Amino acid sequence: MNAPDIETLLPLHPLEFRILLVLLDGASHGYRIVQEIESQEDGGRIWPANLYRRIRDLLGKGLIEEAAVPRGEEAGGRRTYVRMSALGRRVAKAEARRLESLVADARARRLLQGRKAQ
Amino acid sequence: MYRVLLRLLPREFRDRFGADMQQVFAARLREADSAGGRVRVWVHGAGDVLLHGLAERRARRHERPTERSTYVDSLLQDLRLGVRSLLRSPGFALAALITLALGLGATTAVFSVVNALLLRPLPYAAPERLVAVWPEANFNKTMVARVASGVPALESLSGISIWTMTVTGDGGEPAEVEVALVSASHFDVLGVAAARGRTFAPEEGARGRAGVVVLTHDFWMTRYGGDASVLGRSIRLAGADYDERTVIGIMAEGFRPVVNRDLAGWVVLEEPEATTFAGDNTWYVNWRVGRLAAGATLEQATAQLRVVAGSLYADDPGMITEEDVRLASIDPLRDNLVGPLGDTLWLLLGAVALVLLIACANVANLLLARGEHRLRELALRRALGARRGRVARQLLTEAAVLGLAGGGAGVMLAYGLLRIIALGAPPELPHASAITIDARVLLFAFAAALLAALAFGAAPVLRARGAAAADALRQGTRSAAGVRIRPGISSGLVALEIALAVLLVIGSGLMLRTLQQLHHVHPGLDARGVLVLRPAPPDWRYPDAAAMTRFYADVLTRIRALPGVESAAGIQLLPVTPGNWSFPAFPEGHHVPDGGAAPSINFRVVTPGWFETLRIPLLRGRSLEPADRADAPRVAVINRTMAEQFWPGQNPIGRTVRSFSPTASPYTIVGVVGDVHQRALDQPPRPEWYVPQEQLAWEASLFLAVRFRDPDNVIRHAAAIRDAVWSVDRDAPVSGIESLDNVIGRSAATTRFLTFLLVFFAALALTLGAVGVFGVTAWTVARRAPEFGVRLALGASRRHVLATAVLRGITPIAIGLGAGLSAAILATRLLESLLFGVRPADPLTFIAVALLLALVATAALVAPAWRATRIDPLAVLRSD
Repeated sequence: MNAPDIETLLPLHPLEFRILLVLLDGASHGYRIVQEIESQEDGGRIWPANLYRRIRDLLGKGLIEEAAVPRGEEAGGRRTYVRMSALGRRVAKAEARRLESLVADARARRLLQGRKAQ
Repeated sequence: MYRVLLRLLPREFRDRFGADMQQVFAARLREADSAGGRVRVWVHGAGDVLLHGLAERRARRHERPTERSTYVDSLLQDLRLGVRSLLRSPGFALAALITLALGLGATTAVFSVVNALLLRPLPYAAPERLVAVWPEANFNKTMVARVASGVPALESLSGISIWTMTVTGDGGEPAEVEVALVSASHFDVLGVAAARGRTFAPEEGARGRAGVVVLTHDFWMTRYGGDASVLGRSIRLAGADYDERTVIGIMAEGFRPVVNRDLAGWVVLEEPEATTFAGDNTWYVNWRVGRLAAGATLEQATAQLRVVAGSLYADDPGMITEEDVRLASIDPLRDNLVGPLGDTLWLLLGAVALVLLIACANVANLLLARGEHRLRELALRRALGARRGRVARQLLTEAAVLGLAGGGAGVMLAYGLLRIIALGAPPELPHASAITIDARVLLFAFAAALLAALAFGAAPVLRARGAAAADALRQGTRSAAGVRIRPGISSGLVALEIALAVLLVIGSGLMLRTLQQLHHVHPGLDARGVLVLRPAPPDWRYPDAAAMTRFYADVLTRIRALPGVESAAGIQLLPVTPGNWSFPAFPEGHHVPDGGAAPSINFRVVTPGWFETLRIPLLRGRSLEPADRADAPRVAVINRTMAEQFWPGQNPIGRTVRSFSPTASPYTIVGVVGDVHQRALDQPPRPEWYVPQEQLAWEASLFLAVRFRDPDNVIRHAAAIRDAVWSVDRDAPVSGIESLDNVIGRSAATTRFLTFLLVFFAALALTLGAVGVFGVTAWTVARRAPEFGVRLALGASRRHVLATAVLRGITPIAIGLGAGLSAAILATRLLESLLFGVRPADPLTFIAVALLLALVATAALVAPAWRATRIDPLAVLRSD
């Protein structure tokens, strides 16, 4: 099977990108993903149907995959654990670069103030 | 319930992620820290499932267009169609929405109050096990101890007494606050702990060890700014034998005391000094709350209580009677706390339910009219193969959408109405914060909305028969023969609306007459131009009766010296207020029969000049004078009712009265004054006697009344009066400065509140009823326009056409009026306990209401009927 062209998977939905960022730290279940995202300043509130539709879409695109319950964690009830796949990591990087170039463009056009050199 | 909502999602998705979604949602609910928070979680959660459920199903249909729709798919489609259909008829939708919102909003608001007071569990542990003990009796501390030890069916018992104490120091102004004196076991009985610190320990009920206090959250915040360091500190809270108390605990925010007052806190009822029941004069333990032991029943506890009551009676028959023993009971705490207000609330709920029924009848007529207008569309769908059930389900779904929207609008309206209710509510209603729209109220509102809309939404399609549908397809929409219409339902609904409106308007009319009668009751005194206040000198500076007497004498002297003051005097309890002091008394010559008890007579402590200040007429003998000092012979003044009850047809001057015991020191009657309403204007005066403050060695605080020569706007003198008190003692808090007119006006607060609400509901009912009549008549005229056009073309006069239209509409109005008046004769008996000076079947009220309803309904009828006379017959005939 041919590896999917990464460009066709971009741009990612903002919530999908945030989910991938959380999974950079390792496998997680839905509620922990919600807590991580909401703990960020502009995380907003995420509700179950919204979250799991995105998880379903990410699973369908192969960017994440189901994982076993990590060692040391209780499998509290039927919890679905997911982790980032290798494709998912590549797509997340590509999306991050895309957003970075957009921000650079916005700075070049003076929409955003440039950062002072450290 | 969330699992049921998940059925909006496609099955595959649900099977794969449903359990996870439930866990996330459950975690969200746990995070919510209030009932309002949990409601918000539910709203967002349901919206999230609905939105994404629809999106998922739409996406799936797009991907798999040949796949058979599931039940949920078609339901969602009906929802979409329903919303679109309503949006296509904005006028109809708005009219129905507003009508439903008014009816549901009022019902939801009243149900919120009923829920808070009567349905929501009391905020204590296992509240169904909490009981009120012998609520009709007056208790002293010894009785509390005897009942606690003698009724094993009660695992614990606490007495409660409400006192006014002064708090000074801590940089704040001296203030008078209400404090509950309770048994040391009080919070254990309720099963609640302090939010900070602790509640009372058992040993703190012992004499000399009760110098502790638990504060309410509100008082801690307002007096001490929420400063946690007040815990463990001693504060100057003076009263009930202590000048200072150590703060040991602070209750949680929102904790409601058993007795509904604005308390500063709780202190301990010390053990009694006296060793016998009869020797214990602490007759102020007015409430008792207990907890049933595991497995015990109310009946068992009551039986045991009566045994204890019997032994108390045997100890001293003068204190309680055989009748008291027989009536001793243990009742559920909730029933006792609410008292007669409970019946009033159910009555209000019944009244507002009538408003809702009228609103539903209006919406039903709107739906019926619209249903017939759509009959052709529905007939076409049936002809194309749609099953009857499918068409019916679509109409029911449309009605449900309308109902839900009406319910939502009604809930928003209810929030506003609750604010208005909180403003005008009588003191017996709990604080406004306790009346909230919680999950139960929301469920009630939406269930009511759905039931109403669904009941009438299906009526049009169910009533249109097959033959009628075929007719609709064959014929034009404007022929005189037309589609077969069933006008009986609409007329029946109009009659129902009128009948219900009659009930409400008569009820509000009777309450208005009651208010009017109360206004005419003479209280027995002249309140105009009188200001009242309550200076409360701190116990630690005025430890005995002599000091108290000097304080009040000095204060009254300073007040009388103020410009504009005509006179001033004091009393321990103001007239026309709910509180009362009454004790067993022994009037001379009155023999207490065997098995009986001494009569309990109202008792008032006054300073010289009280009767003159309040202009209570002196009927015989003399008033109390400054010469009636502590070292002078003991004297008393009685009221007319006491004179007539104990010395009928005789002169009571020179007779004596003793209190508590036939051998106590006698007071000689020197005068008789007119009756004053002690409790409320609608309750007759009871026997009452007045004694001089100095002769009783009165140590507690007094209310003062000050009469001004200029009776207008006496409250403008408040600052001068306060300064006069503080010129005697800067640390004496002064509370309750208001006109005596205000005090007396409050006695009718509950009646006024109930009347206001009933009048509001009646006005709403009248408006909705008139709108209903107008709407149905307009619709009938429009529907019969071809017929009227033909009649006019054939030579009928416009007056004849008008008469036809009016007569048609007047029949259901007349039936409704008759039915409503007949039902009111029975229904108004429910109001009997609330009425004063007017009978439930008062003819004047009935006639006035019948005329009013007839006038309003006829006006609503004639206006649209007049349109029938403006029909152009040629235009009608041309368009057919």
